[in-house]
Parts: sequence; C-alpha cells; structure tokens
Amino acid sequence: MAFTLRSVKVPPNSASLEEARGRVFDFFRQACRSIPTIMDIYNLDDVVTKSQLRSTIASEIRKNTHVTNPKVIDMLLFKGMEELNNIVEHAKQRHHIIGQYVLGRQGLAQDLDTKDEGVSDFLKNFYKSNYF
Amino acid sequence: MSLRAAVLRHIRLPVQTLPAIGSRPQSQLSFLRLFSSHDDHLTKEEVIDRVLDVVKSFPKVEPSQVTPDVHFQKDLGLDSLDNVEIVMALEEEFKLEIPDKEADKIDSCNLAIEYIYNHPMAG
Repeated sequence: MAFTLRSVKVPPNSASLEEARGRVFDFFRQACRSIPTIMDIYNLDDVVTKSQLRSTIASEIRKNTHVTNPKVIDMLLFKGMEELNNIVEHAKQRHHIIGQYVLGRQGLAQDLDTKDEGVSDFLKNFYKSNYF
Repeated sequence: MSLRAAVLRHIRLPVQTLPAIGSRPQSQLSFLRLFSSHDDHLTKEEVIDRVLDVVKSFPKVEPSQVTPDVHFQKDLGLDSLDNVEIVMALEEEFKLEIPDKEADKIDSCNLAIEYIYNHPMAG
C-alpha cells in the first residue's frame, strides 16, 4: 500500500540542522512527485497547474524557515507527511484541496475586502489597547 | 498445358522487371532506419531552450536575467528550496527522475543543461 509506506519512513530524530534540512528537501521532492497523482484524483486540471501547486507547497514549507530546533523540524515534517498521506489516499475532498492549497494565496475575496481595509487608524489602535 | 505455360510466362514477367524499379526505394530508405534509437537524443539547442523556458516561467525569476550560465542562488537570488523546486520542474519537463545526490549538485543552468543532455532517458 503506497500510503502506509510513506508514513512509516520518518525515523526518530535528526542529529543536526543539516540532516533536518536534507529531510525537508526529501519531503518536498516526494510531495512534488505525487502532484500528478493528486491532480488526477481530485480533477484539478482546470483549476490549477502543477507549477502553482509546487509553489504553494514551497511557500508552506517556507512559513517555517525560522525554526532552528531539529526536533521541531522533525515534528513539522511528520505533520507534513501525514497531510500528504491524507491527500494522496483520498481521505480529503476536492473542496478541501481547493480551499487550502489553491485559493489560499490571495484569500477569499470577501474576507480581504471587509476585514480591515476601510477601518480607520484610530479604530485599529482603539481595538488594540486603551493607551495610544 | 500451353495455357499453363502462357499463364506462367505472364506471372514471371513482373519478377524480371523488379530489379530495375526496386533499387530506388531501397536507397531512399537506407538512411531512414525506422527502428533505430541512435538518433533519438535531444539536440543541445533544444535542451538549452527548454531549460531556459522552465527557468523563465518560474514565478520568482526575472525572465530578462536568465542566461545559459546563470547560477540559481548567486545570480537569480533564489534560496535552496527554490533550487530544489526548479530541479523538480526540470524533472517534470523532461520526464526524468533525478536521484537526490545528483539533484543536490545542480546549482546553475550550466549543470542542469549538461546533466539533462547526458541523460539517456531525457524526453
């Protein structure tokens, strides 16, 4: 079974930051190589291209570049593997993938418009604290 | 008996005239070699063009800065994750699977073009 093979592979601990970074690249390559399968399972061909998905995965990984502890990196990789497994074994549905990995970049248009755009600086400071 | 001989005579005629006509198609086909895979490799210009196209269509890259000997991290200002992503994009374009040790060495357009040109399975 392809998905069980993936999850067993994560060994206990990375010795150093270099090893952890090697594991991150391995995970990224594995995710990129399963992109064709994902696009086939969820019929994403007319919604997104493979390079857009690659960029999305890269930016998700990049959100955690500030982490320096190898054990934390291992934990994040484990969660990433779990997510990849779930997606590949079709445990998610198309709207999950579209909402989390296709639309996430510019956000749903309604949220961006009404959230903080028209609010004045005074109100923003007021919401933050009493003293400004 | 005579009918048979007459019929046989008619049948024999086309065989005699074959060598005159048959030699031309053979010489034309001699350099076609339909089942040979020796001429199957990509030309270097094609490899260079396709590699540059892949690098130029990368969203973080300025298309005007891309030359055949540009270094991904030093000249284009990308980081190591972008490097891996470009190598994956090249894998997809040429339908290859590059092992991790080789992929780590590919740092610039030069190395990428060389590796792909020397790979027997590049498509």
